[in-house]
Amino acid sequence: MQDRPSGFGNPWLQLALSVVCVLVSELLLKRGATDIADPSSAWSWTGVNGLASPLVWWAILLIVASFISWLYVLRYIPLIIAFPLSRVVDILVPIGCWIFLNEFISTLRWCGIALVVAGLALVAKPVARIEERL
Amino acid sequence: MSFLAFFLIVASLLSFVVAQLILKRAMEFSAGAGLRNLRFISRVAGGIALMTFSFFLTLGLLQRFDLSYLYPFQGLSVIIITLMAAFMLKEKLTLQLTIGTLLISAGIVLVSLS
Repeated sequence: MQDRPSGFGNPWLQLALSVVCVLVSELLLKRGATDIADPSSAWSWTGVNGLASPLVWWAILLIVASFISWLYVLRYIPLIIAFPLSRVVDILVPIGCWIFLNEFISTLRWCGIALVVAGLALVAKPVARIEERL
Repeated sequence: MSFLAFFLIVASLLSFVVAQLILKRAMEFSAGAGLRNLRFISRVAGGIALMTFSFFLTLGLLQRFDLSYLYPFQGLSVIIITLMAAFMLKEKLTLQLTIGTLLISAGIVLVSLS
Protein backbone atom coordinates (compact mmCIF):
# COMPACT_ATOMS: atom_id res chain seq x y z
CA MET A 1 0.00 0.00 0.00
CA GLN A 2 2.91 2.33 -0.66
CA ASP A 3 3.04 5.40 -2.89
CA ARG A 4 -0.67 5.84 -2.70
CA PRO A 5 -1.99 8.84 -4.64
CA SER A 6 -4.07 11.40 -2.76
CA GLY A 7 -7.07 13.50 -3.81
CA PHE A 8 -9.34 11.94 -6.44
CA GLY A 9 -6.77 9.19 -6.96
CA ASN A 10 -7.05 8.09 -3.32
CA PRO A 11 -7.95 4.37 -3.52
CA TRP A 12 -10.24 4.58 -0.46
CA LEU A 13 -12.20 7.36 -2.16
CA GLN A 14 -12.34 5.22 -5.31
CA LEU A 15 -13.60 2.25 -3.26
CA ALA A 16 -16.37 4.47 -1.86
CA LEU A 17 -17.17 5.75 -5.38
CA SER A 18 -17.30 2.20 -6.71
CA VAL A 19 -19.74 1.21 -3.95
CA VAL A 20 -21.92 4.30 -4.53
CA CYS A 21 -22.01 3.57 -8.29
CA VAL A 22 -23.15 -0.02 -7.61
CA LEU A 23 -25.77 1.18 -5.11
CA VAL A 24 -27.25 3.80 -7.47
CA SER A 25 -27.12 1.37 -10.42
CA GLU A 26 -29.10 -1.26 -8.46
CA LEU A 27 -31.79 1.29 -7.56
CA LEU A 28 -31.92 2.56 -11.17
CA LEU A 29 -32.16 -1.02 -12.51
CA LYS A 30 -35.07 -1.76 -10.19
CA ARG A 31 -36.86 1.49 -11.17
CA GLY A 32 -36.10 0.98 -14.87
CA ALA A 33 -37.20 -2.66 -14.83
CA THR A 34 -40.43 -1.79 -13.00
CA ASP A 35 -41.16 1.09 -15.40
CA ILE A 36 -41.22 -1.09 -18.48
CA ALA A 37 -42.17 -4.45 -16.95
CA ASP A 38 -44.18 -6.45 -19.48
CA PRO A 39 -44.43 -10.05 -18.25
CA SER A 40 -46.58 -10.99 -21.24
CA SER A 41 -43.75 -10.30 -23.69
CA ALA A 42 -41.81 -13.33 -24.91
CA TRP A 43 -38.54 -11.41 -24.46
CA SER A 44 -39.19 -10.37 -20.88
CA TRP A 45 -37.50 -13.42 -19.33
CA THR A 46 -34.16 -12.53 -20.91
CA GLY A 47 -34.21 -9.04 -19.38
CA VAL A 48 -33.27 -7.64 -22.81
CA ASN A 49 -36.49 -5.59 -22.98
CA GLY A 50 -35.10 -3.67 -19.99
CA LEU A 51 -32.79 -1.89 -22.44
CA ALA A 52 -35.80 0.17 -23.57
CA SER A 53 -35.60 2.11 -20.31
CA PRO A 54 -33.19 5.10 -20.18
CA LEU A 55 -32.73 4.39 -16.45
CA VAL A 56 -31.30 0.96 -17.31
CA TRP A 57 -28.73 2.62 -19.61
CA TRP A 58 -27.70 5.01 -16.82
CA ALA A 59 -27.36 1.96 -14.59
CA ILE A 60 -25.11 0.22 -17.15
CA LEU A 61 -22.95 3.35 -17.36
CA LEU A 62 -22.60 3.34 -13.56
CA ILE A 63 -21.73 -0.38 -13.54
CA VAL A 64 -18.90 0.28 -16.02
CA ALA A 65 -17.72 3.24 -13.90
CA SER A 66 -17.78 1.12 -10.74
CA PHE A 67 -15.76 -1.60 -12.49
CA ILE A 68 -13.07 0.90 -13.54
CA SER A 69 -12.92 2.28 -9.97
CA TRP A 70 -12.72 -1.27 -8.64
CA LEU A 71 -9.75 -2.11 -10.91
CA TYR A 72 -8.03 1.01 -9.60
CA VAL A 73 -8.77 -0.02 -6.01
CA LEU A 74 -7.25 -3.47 -6.65
CA ARG A 75 -4.03 -1.83 -7.72
CA TYR A 76 -3.48 -0.35 -4.25
CA ILE A 77 -5.56 -2.18 -1.63
CA PRO A 78 -5.18 -5.89 -0.72
CA LEU A 79 -8.15 -7.94 -1.96
CA ILE A 80 -8.53 -9.40 1.54
CA ILE A 81 -9.52 -5.93 2.80
CA ALA A 82 -11.08 -4.32 -0.29
CA PHE A 83 -13.53 -7.13 -1.09
CA PRO A 84 -15.16 -7.48 2.36
CA LEU A 85 -15.41 -3.66 2.55
CA SER A 86 -17.03 -3.51 -0.90
CA ARG A 87 -19.85 -5.72 0.45
CA VAL A 88 -21.12 -2.69 2.40
CA VAL A 89 -23.27 -2.43 -0.72
CA ASP A 90 -25.25 -5.47 0.48
CA ILE A 91 -26.67 -3.39 3.32
CA LEU A 92 -26.76 -0.05 1.48
CA VAL A 93 -29.04 -1.53 -1.20
CA PRO A 94 -31.81 -2.60 1.25
CA ILE A 95 -31.44 0.70 3.12
CA GLY A 96 -31.64 2.55 -0.22
CA CYS A 97 -34.75 0.52 -1.12
CA TRP A 98 -36.22 1.46 2.25
CA ILE A 99 -35.54 5.19 1.79
CA PHE A 100 -36.07 5.69 -1.96
CA LEU A 101 -38.32 2.84 -3.08
CA ASN A 102 -40.42 2.66 0.12
CA GLU A 103 -39.74 -1.05 0.54
CA PHE A 104 -40.18 -2.69 3.95
CA ILE A 105 -37.25 -3.91 6.11
CA SER A 106 -38.09 -6.66 8.62
CA THR A 107 -36.55 -6.95 12.09
CA LEU A 108 -34.49 -9.96 10.98
CA ARG A 109 -33.13 -7.93 8.06
CA TRP A 110 -32.17 -5.07 10.41
CA CYS A 111 -30.31 -7.70 12.51
CA GLY A 112 -28.44 -8.84 9.38
CA ILE A 113 -27.58 -5.21 8.58
CA ALA A 114 -26.23 -4.78 12.14
CA LEU A 115 -24.04 -7.90 11.74
CA VAL A 116 -22.59 -6.61 8.47
CA VAL A 117 -21.86 -3.21 10.07
CA ALA A 118 -20.05 -4.96 12.96
CA GLY A 119 -18.05 -7.08 10.49
CA LEU A 120 -17.16 -4.02 8.38
CA ALA A 121 -15.95 -2.20 11.50
CA LEU A 122 -13.65 -5.13 12.32
CA VAL A 123 -12.25 -5.29 8.78
CA ALA A 124 -11.79 -1.51 8.58
CA LYS A 125 -10.14 -1.11 11.99
CA PRO A 126 -6.64 -2.32 11.07
CA VAL A 127 -6.85 -0.15 7.95
CA ALA A 128 -7.56 2.93 10.06
CA ARG A 129 -4.51 2.08 12.17
CA ILE A 130 -2.28 1.74 9.08
CA GLU A 131 -3.56 5.09 7.78
CA GLU A 132 -2.86 6.81 11.10
CA ARG A 133 0.76 5.72 11.00
CA LEU A 134 1.30 7.20 7.54
CA MET B 1 -32.43 -28.49 -5.37
CA SER B 2 -31.07 -30.68 -8.11
CA PHE B 3 -27.44 -31.58 -8.51
CA LEU B 4 -27.31 -29.48 -11.69
CA ALA B 5 -28.59 -26.38 -9.89
CA PHE B 6 -26.05 -26.87 -7.11
CA PHE B 7 -23.30 -27.31 -9.69
CA LEU B 8 -24.36 -24.12 -11.51
CA ILE B 9 -24.44 -22.10 -8.26
CA VAL B 10 -20.94 -23.30 -7.34
CA ALA B 11 -19.68 -22.65 -10.90
CA SER B 12 -21.09 -19.12 -10.84
CA LEU B 13 -19.57 -18.44 -7.42
CA LEU B 14 -16.15 -19.87 -8.28
CA SER B 15 -15.90 -18.09 -11.64
CA PHE B 16 -16.68 -14.79 -9.87
CA VAL B 17 -14.05 -15.47 -7.18
CA VAL B 18 -11.37 -16.55 -9.67
CA ALA B 19 -12.14 -13.44 -11.77
CA GLN B 20 -11.45 -11.22 -8.74
CA LEU B 21 -8.14 -13.00 -8.06
CA ILE B 22 -7.07 -12.66 -11.72
CA LEU B 23 -8.05 -8.97 -11.80
CA LYS B 24 -6.09 -8.35 -8.60
CA ARG B 25 -3.03 -10.03 -10.11
CA ALA B 26 -3.48 -8.01 -13.30
CA MET B 27 -3.61 -4.71 -11.41
CA GLU B 28 -0.57 -5.61 -9.29
CA PHE B 29 1.26 -6.47 -12.48
CA SER B 30 0.23 -3.16 -14.09
CA ALA B 31 1.73 -1.23 -11.16
CA GLY B 32 5.18 -2.27 -12.37
CA ALA B 33 4.72 -2.86 -16.08
CA GLY B 34 2.09 -0.28 -17.08
CA LEU B 35 -1.22 -0.78 -18.83
CA ARG B 36 -0.05 -1.28 -22.41
CA ASN B 37 1.29 -4.79 -22.38
CA LEU B 38 -0.11 -8.11 -23.47
CA ARG B 39 0.10 -9.88 -20.10
CA PHE B 40 -1.92 -7.17 -18.37
CA ILE B 41 -4.53 -6.96 -21.14
CA SER B 42 -4.93 -10.74 -21.37
CA ARG B 43 -5.44 -11.02 -17.59
CA VAL B 44 -8.02 -8.23 -17.47
CA ALA B 45 -9.77 -9.78 -20.49
CA GLY B 46 -9.73 -13.17 -18.73
CA GLY B 47 -11.16 -11.61 -15.56
CA ILE B 48 -13.92 -9.84 -17.50
CA ALA B 49 -14.73 -13.04 -19.44
CA LEU B 50 -15.07 -15.02 -16.17
CA MET B 51 -17.24 -12.29 -14.61
CA THR B 52 -19.46 -12.32 -17.71
CA PHE B 53 -19.70 -16.11 -17.51
CA SER B 54 -20.67 -15.85 -13.84
CA PHE B 55 -23.21 -13.10 -14.65
CA PHE B 56 -25.03 -15.20 -17.25
CA LEU B 57 -25.00 -18.30 -15.04
CA THR B 58 -26.62 -16.19 -12.31
CA LEU B 59 -29.14 -14.78 -14.79
CA GLY B 60 -30.09 -18.34 -15.77
CA LEU B 61 -30.37 -19.38 -12.11
CA LEU B 62 -32.52 -16.34 -11.33
CA GLN B 63 -35.06 -17.60 -13.84
CA ARG B 64 -35.47 -20.79 -11.81
CA PHE B 65 -34.92 -19.69 -8.20
CA ASP B 66 -35.84 -16.73 -6.00
CA LEU B 67 -33.25 -14.03 -5.49
CA SER B 68 -33.60 -14.53 -1.73
CA TYR B 69 -32.60 -18.16 -2.22
CA LEU B 70 -29.58 -17.39 -4.40
CA TYR B 71 -28.33 -14.29 -2.60
CA PRO B 72 -26.98 -16.01 0.56
CA PHE B 73 -24.42 -17.71 -1.68
CA GLN B 74 -23.13 -14.18 -2.36
CA GLY B 75 -22.27 -14.09 1.35
CA LEU B 76 -20.08 -17.15 0.78
CA SER B 77 -18.09 -15.23 -1.85
CA VAL B 78 -16.70 -12.97 0.92
CA ILE B 79 -15.36 -15.99 2.82
CA ILE B 80 -13.98 -17.73 -0.28
CA ILE B 81 -12.27 -14.57 -1.60
CA THR B 82 -10.72 -13.89 1.81
CA LEU B 83 -9.36 -17.46 2.02
CA MET B 84 -8.15 -17.46 -1.61
CA ALA B 85 -6.47 -14.05 -1.18
CA ALA B 86 -4.68 -15.39 1.89
CA PHE B 87 -3.51 -18.65 0.30
CA MET B 88 -3.00 -17.72 -3.35
CA LEU B 89 -2.10 -14.03 -3.20
CA LYS B 90 -0.30 -14.43 0.16
CA GLU B 91 -2.19 -11.52 1.69
CA LYS B 92 -2.10 -11.31 5.48
CA LEU B 93 -5.13 -12.86 7.20
CA THR B 94 -5.47 -11.75 10.83
CA LEU B 95 -7.93 -13.04 13.44
CA GLN B 96 -9.72 -9.69 13.34
CA LEU B 97 -10.15 -9.91 9.54
CA THR B 98 -11.42 -13.48 9.87
CA ILE B 99 -14.08 -12.55 12.44
CA GLY B 100 -15.05 -9.44 10.45
CA THR B 101 -15.42 -11.50 7.27
CA LEU B 102 -17.56 -14.13 9.05
CA LEU B 103 -19.82 -11.41 10.51
CA ILE B 104 -20.27 -9.77 7.09
CA SER B 105 -21.14 -13.14 5.50
CA ALA B 106 -23.59 -14.02 8.28
CA GLY B 107 -25.15 -10.56 7.95
CA ILE B 108 -25.56 -10.92 4.17
CA VAL B 109 -27.25 -14.30 4.67
CA LEU B 110 -29.65 -12.81 7.26
CA VAL B 111 -30.43 -9.78 5.06
CA SER B 112 -31.32 -12.03 2.13
CA LEU B 113 -33.24 -14.64 4.14
CA SER B 114 -35.55 -12.17 5.87
